[in-house]
Amino acid sequence: MADKITKGTTFQAQEVVDKYRAIYYAGASGDFNPIHIDPEFGKMVGLGGVILHGLCALGFVAKSVTDWTGDPGRLKKLRCRFATPVHIEDTITVAGEVLEVSGGRAVLNLKVTRQNGEEVEKNVMAEVEA
Amino acid sequence: MAIDTKFIGKTWPDLSYDVCKEKIREYAKAIKNQDPHFVDEAFAKKSKYGCIIAPPTFCVVFGGALIEPIFFDNELNLNLMMLVHGEQEFEFFEVVKDRDTITSTAKITDVVNKEKLDVLTVEVLSRNQHGRNVCKGIYTFVVRK
Repeated sequence: MADKITKGTTFQAQEVVDKYRAIYYAGASGDFNPIHIDPEFGKMVGLGGVILHGLCALGFVAKSVTDWTGDPGRLKKLRCRFATPVHIEDTITVAGEVLEVSGGRAVLNLKVTRQNGEEVEKNVMAEVEA
Repeated sequence: MAIDTKFIGKTWPDLSYDVCKEKIREYAKAIKNQDPHFVDEAFAKKSKYGCIIAPPTFCVVFGGALIEPIFFDNELNLNLMMLVHGEQEFEFFEVVKDRDTITSTAKITDVVNKEKLDVLTVEVLSRNQHGRNVCKGIYTFVVRK
C-alpha cells in the first residue's frame, strides 16, 4: 500500500487469464460479443479462438493500481490503447512506475505485457491522488 | 462505406442504472478483484466511504450499456464485423456506491475517416443521484473498411 507516493516508485502485479475468464466477464459486463465467448466464431474470424475483453484486461490494470494505492477512490484517470488481443491462458503482467508527482496528483506509466514480453496494451497511463 | 462525419454530436437517450452490491460483487469477481471495499460489507462500513463501493471500472457496466444502442443504431449503420475497440480512457470523479442511481449520457465526439479505416469516438458521462459526475468514459472504436 502506497501512503506517500514519490517519483520513481515502481510496483508490479500479475493475473492469469483462466479458461472461463471471458465468460465471467461477459456475464458481469453484459458484453456477449461472440469473439469473447464462442471459440468456433473466434476461429472463423481469424482470432484462433476466443479473446478476452479488452476492458477486462484494463480492469486488471486498474486493480494493480488500486491494490497499490490501497484506496480505489484515489484512481482518477486511466487510459490505454488496445494493441493486440489477450488470449485465454495468457499471463498478464502490469509494471507501474511513478513518472511525476505534482499538485496532489501522481502520473503513472504502466507497461502491460503477456508472458512472451509482447505489450498487449500501449500508452497505458494512470493518474492517482498522491 | 465510411462513417459520415455528420454524426459528430449525435446523442442517445440517457440511461438510468440502479447500482447494487450484488452486481458490484459479480463484476469484482469477473475482474478477479476481491478488494474488501467491493465485497466485504463489514470492512466497507468501517471504511471512509461507509458502505460497499464499486471498482472504478464498474463504470463500463452502467456506461457501457449505452454502447449497445450505438452499435445497433440503424442510421449510423456500423459494420460490427470489422469493428474493434481501439482505445479507452476514463476519468473518475466521485466513487460509485451501493444503492446509487447513475444516469449516463452518450455522445459521438469524433469521426475520422482514413484510407483503410474509420475511427469513432464516443463519450459517456455518468452522474449520480446528487447530480455529481462519477465518471467520463471515452470509447474509441476502429472500423476497418
